[in-house]
Amino acid sequence: MAQYVVNWILLGCFYAAIGLGFSLIWGIMNIVNLAQGSLVILGAYVAYWSYSTLHLNPFLGILTAMVVLFCIGYTIQYLAINRVIRAPILVTFMMTFGLALLISNLLQAFFTGGYRAINTPYSSAGMTLLGARIPLLNVAVAAIAVVLTALLSLFLSRTRIGNAILAVGMDRDAARLMGVSLARTYALTFGIGAALAGAAGGMLAMTLQFSPIFTGQYTLFAFVIVALGGLGTPWAALAGGLLFALAEVFGPLIPGVGFGLDTAIAFAVLVLVLILRPNGLLGRPFYA
Amino acid sequence: MAKQTQDHEIVTDSATAAAPRESRAWLWSLGLGVVILAVIGLVPLTGDQSALSLWTFIVMYCVLAQSWNLIGGFAGRAAFGNVAFFGIGAYTVALLLERNQSYWLGLVLAPVIAGLFAFLLGLPVLRLRGHYFGIATLGVAEALGQVIQSKNVGAPSGEISLTPPSLNFHISNALFFYGFLALSLVTLLGTTSLSRSRFGYALVAIRENEQAAEALGIATYWYKVGAFVLSALPTALAGGLFAYWQLSFDPVGEGGAFDVTISVAMILMTVLGGAGTILGPILGAIIIEYLDQYTSTAFTTIHGPLLGALIVLVTIFLPQGLVRLVQELVRAPAGVKQSYPMRVRQGVQRVTRFLASNGI
Repeated sequence: MAQYVVNWILLGCFYAAIGLGFSLIWGIMNIVNLAQGSLVILGAYVAYWSYSTLHLNPFLGILTAMVVLFCIGYTIQYLAINRVIRAPILVTFMMTFGLALLISNLLQAFFTGGYRAINTPYSSAGMTLLGARIPLLNVAVAAIAVVLTALLSLFLSRTRIGNAILAVGMDRDAARLMGVSLARTYALTFGIGAALAGAAGGMLAMTLQFSPIFTGQYTLFAFVIVALGGLGTPWAALAGGLLFALAEVFGPLIPGVGFGLDTAIAFAVLVLVLILRPNGLLGRPFYA
Repeated sequence: MAKQTQDHEIVTDSATAAAPRESRAWLWSLGLGVVILAVIGLVPLTGDQSALSLWTFIVMYCVLAQSWNLIGGFAGRAAFGNVAFFGIGAYTVALLLERNQSYWLGLVLAPVIAGLFAFLLGLPVLRLRGHYFGIATLGVAEALGQVIQSKNVGAPSGEISLTPPSLNFHISNALFFYGFLALSLVTLLGTTSLSRSRFGYALVAIRENEQAAEALGIATYWYKVGAFVLSALPTALAGGLFAYWQLSFDPVGEGGAFDVTISVAMILMTVLGGAGTILGPILGAIIIEYLDQYTSTAFTTIHGPLLGALIVLVTIFLPQGLVRLVQELVRAPAGVKQSYPMRVRQGVQRVTRFLASNGI
């Protein structure tokens, strides 16, 4: 049982990282970014490349992925999404789906669909506590996820740029009258969201296998995590990640459910939460 | 979407100058639609089997896009999981055929079961707003496929393989083609009469402003449930035809009966042609499925990225679709006489305003 609890918490923090960027983009721009999973996998490839080709430390690979993904995200928002930002949600849905298709197919064309993972000499290092094995790499990844959540929260509340992002999220026309450039703030928001996806990708590359075929799955996960936690704050993504991991880890233990039903379990939980608490666990009217 | 109200104002303003003419756009759309389907109906006469297969897919997507148009186009809900109805139709027929039941029984039961499913699913999910509805429907479709795969419904991993009908191969292929074509024609007629009915007007009102529609006394919730069920029926029938036409298919993955790209194709086709128009889904399905099949054979490796880029461009430049683009070009202000060059110039002006109009 202790093992399940350990797995749950480590997976939950990793899931928080998956949901973090998605929640920022959704909360500020009201865009459900269906390309989030593709950005996560793209980040995983960047981290993998920086490890296997540049021989950088895998933890530096997370940073590389964040920088590269920030630039890509900034460009995507500036060139494409800014042009449909006032359209009905169906149009932004389609747009981000098109981007997802574009990115994941390009990845497939360049890297094939094969599974990859970063294997380091210390990948299997771990310790045993109360009969549960604690993999140290996953602990480090979980810690980074929590630190990123705290950093995002501080960035939004304590810096001028962060405040500008929040202001645009609350009322874009009022923010514009205060001298905030919408085009640049949106591009920055999407860039940060993509960088967080890149970080999640780097963590993914270190702890699990990845391949372009997982892009859709991680988009769905991101959505469920954010919908579970609510849109209110970065911390809501952490709550959502833990809740989602709870269902993933303990769900298959329920008699008659069994394995191979991840998506089905995820959505059963989602629909339940949406019916009981339409704003998520920590949901608030605006992002702050 | 302020265009609708604008039209309305023009008509009332000029009501004293000239009696308001009823728009004939629907008649044009219906006529053109029938002509297009009739021309497509000539394909089997060429005897070219690969062309027949291509056009059967195209007409199948016409049906899917047309039925998605009811919930997504007219009612404006971001339904992302309509492939669920397609899969339910396909598996209903397949499971009955595996038990040596009649195909016709399957074709009757497929829309009944899918309609019932749409009703029961619609009751909770249509209470969700915007994105939540979109993802909930997407999730249900994905989950259904996964359940069928992991619970081995019909066959191990749900991989269906049926015995072919005891008919000549060419004849049965042509029959399935005409089956899809008839379904598309019926959906076209249904959509046309719907667009001019109380029900259709209610759906458009819900799309434009749900609160205002509610305030006008429209039972918006039940109209949305109705549109959802209605959109499930032709989709399930198409799934039933697909099952016996293709004979073997998987639940998930490319070419599967619950493949999420089928949902996306329905939406993309409808948006490109014109969501909420009569002719739009047919035009969109023809253009996209033809391009898709052409690029997948001619440029196999870049086919996927190409489709992604196409979606991005369509959403930037044609968010309201081809049909509305043409309507905007030819629309003449009621009761005002204008010279022909003047009308052309104004039409072009309207169209340029219309392209890429959703930016910051």
